[in-house]
Amino acid sequence: MLLTENNFMTNILQVENVSKTFTNHKALDDVSLEVPEGKVYGLLGPNGAGKTTLIRIINHITAPDSGRVLFDGHQLTAADIVNIGYLPEERGLYKKMKVGDQAVFFARLKGLSKADATRALKQWFERLEISSWWDKKVEELSKGMAQKVQFIVTVLHNPKLLIFDEPFSGFDPINANVLKHEILKLRDEGATVIFSTHNMASVEELCDNITLINKSHNILTGPVSELRRRFSNNCYEIGFEGNAKELIAKIQPCVRTIEPMATDRDGISHVRFSLNSQDDLRNLLGVANAEVMLRTFNPLLPSMDEIFIRTVENSNHSTPTPPEL
Amino acid sequence: MSRALSIIIAREYLERVKRKSFIITTILMPIIMLAIMVAPAVIAMMSTPEEQVIAVIDDSGVVAGRLHDSDEITFKRVADNIDVVKKEEAYGAILVIGSNVVTDPDDNVTLYTHGSPSLTTERFVKDQIEDAVESRRIELYEIDNLRQIMEDVQVDMKMKTYRLDQDEENETSSLLSYLLGTFMMLILYFFIMLYGQMVMTSIIEEKNNRVLELVVSSVNPNDLMMGKILGIGAVAVTQILIWAILIVAGSLCLMPFMTTAAATADDPTLVAAISQLGDPAFMAKLVVFMVLFLIGGYLFYSSIYAAIGSAVDNIQDASQLQTVAIVPIILALIISMSVVQDPNSGLALWTSMIPFTSPMVMMARMPFGIPVWQSLLSVVLLYVSFFGMIWLSAKIYRVGIFMYGKKPTFMELMRWVRYK
Repeated sequence: MLLTENNFMTNILQVENVSKTFTNHKALDDVSLEVPEGKVYGLLGPNGAGKTTLIRIINHITAPDSGRVLFDGHQLTAADIVNIGYLPEERGLYKKMKVGDQAVFFARLKGLSKADATRALKQWFERLEISSWWDKKVEELSKGMAQKVQFIVTVLHNPKLLIFDEPFSGFDPINANVLKHEILKLRDEGATVIFSTHNMASVEELCDNITLINKSHNILTGPVSELRRRFSNNCYEIGFEGNAKELIAKIQPCVRTIEPMATDRDGISHVRFSLNSQDDLRNLLGVANAEVMLRTFNPLLPSMDEIFIRTVENSNHSTPTPPEL
Repeated sequence: MSRALSIIIAREYLERVKRKSFIITTILMPIIMLAIMVAPAVIAMMSTPEEQVIAVIDDSGVVAGRLHDSDEITFKRVADNIDVVKKEEAYGAILVIGSNVVTDPDDNVTLYTHGSPSLTTERFVKDQIEDAVESRRIELYEIDNLRQIMEDVQVDMKMKTYRLDQDEENETSSLLSYLLGTFMMLILYFFIMLYGQMVMTSIIEEKNNRVLELVVSSVNPNDLMMGKILGIGAVAVTQILIWAILIVAGSLCLMPFMTTAAATADDPTLVAAISQLGDPAFMAKLVVFMVLFLIGGYLFYSSIYAAIGSAVDNIQDASQLQTVAIVPIILALIISMSVVQDPNSGLALWTSMIPFTSPMVMMARMPFGIPVWQSLLSVVLLYVSFFGMIWLSAKIYRVGIFMYGKKPTFMELMRWVRYK
């Protein structure tokens, strides 16, 4: 299990064999995962898979029936929640309260003094260019505006672990981008981020590792790059100058599938193929190199979308197995 | 008290007390109450009653002479036929008395009016005729001084009551106890209902606009629930204190009038009532217990309301579960109504010990004077039950706040208690 990485990296969070049952419904069944410090960790899964229950357990809101959660090496306690910032998927604010008062209220709940909270908040409000909202009532804000305030409240106390559940929903692309940069900045400053979303493009872009939960089981865990390689099915694309037909005829015996692509404006032809084994690659490239002038070579990696769908569908059709890798 | 709890309490308290609606109701309420009490008297004083003349056609010849005019009503005997009198505009009403009125009053008296007569007019006329017939009947016995004899036989006694269980034998007034008991019981009813439901609606609101998810990621749900109950409770205490100050200030202004009224009053009930009201020991004991029961009752019921609020998404869904809280409160109200009539009955004793009914029933009994052990036991039971109830509610709350969609039944709430 992630041996190479774990040897020199500490885990901020370890979830060990956690199970949780509600009446007639098993929300989590023997789920384990390890979140390395200073990384962005994707927590993925279809609706109702048990992600929110897991996040609530990590936040010490509910307790697991069995298993344990280690935070920074020790058993998670209520005192640790000041080191966690959580932005829930379903979120709201007190409508009648002024934005500034409300932000100070939440910051104080996280352990900041009133003066510290006010000072830090003023900075953040300036940074996100929302200083003029301080004395407005929340009911006067739009949804996106309120989300910005909630984001600030989540990160204000500089927590070691940040948990964002669908942070970009309700944001326009410009503000979503602002937020994304703020999240990455926080990571660069040393925070660990757990990121739960259905937007797989942002997973590819942001996450270092992921865990995929389906039907209360952890069905896939690993670093994003490694997973994409593993799911690539030995698919590659080459670009070359020369006769495509002859090349295809020559390499046909070595491949599992082969598919010619369009020739681009520079006169470079492309061919996509998949191999039965990675070991055939060297042989194939040798054959191709002798036949045509090779220009490009790319392994074709599946999108996280594909991996998500394939893994979830597989696990729905078979009995759940413990995660590999 | 944990830091988070005090921050929650402060928010709940300040957000409410700073609201305009709180300031307005707190100041306006006593004014409205005073207006309701004073208004009828003022209206009665201001409005001069309508004077009217009633024409009397007396076939018996014995009644008309015995009718006495009042300030508003003048009887005028007429000899004309009824049809003639009906055409006259001057008469407000026509009273027709048959010839056999003395032997058979039921079938011999008729009152014709323009429009429906007022209740007081009708009663006045009826009383006058009854008196007239009565005195005529007495005359018919032809016994000398019969009227005098009958008046001598009449008894009108005023009894003095003293309490034996008090150090000083104070004169007590059951009238005052009745009024005080009813008053305090209603105050308790009002506050428990109003502020208990406020706890519930406020939790539903938090759940509904999903701010709750954000708050519970920072504080323990128990702290959040407790903070809400205590914060809103503090608002209730603030309101009561303001009203108490207004009432004390008001009565200090009125006291000189009341003492002169007591000095000049020849009614011993009134004298006793006023002297008891002025007894500091009696009043202090009442106020202390009232505060204890008010706070205890509020805490007990608001924990029930908190559990209900946590379990539903909107106020409509709450109505069914609310019966769990409302039925005992209404029951307590009804029992208290009978308790002020009979403060030492078995029902009164038992219901003033059961925490669901004890705050109100005890408040209704308290002014009548009850053994100290009873009041203390009741207080202890109430506060102990509160701790039991808050424990139960916290368990429901913890689960309920994350339950959306389905409206839970009472049995499901009980099942949540067992969740880890």
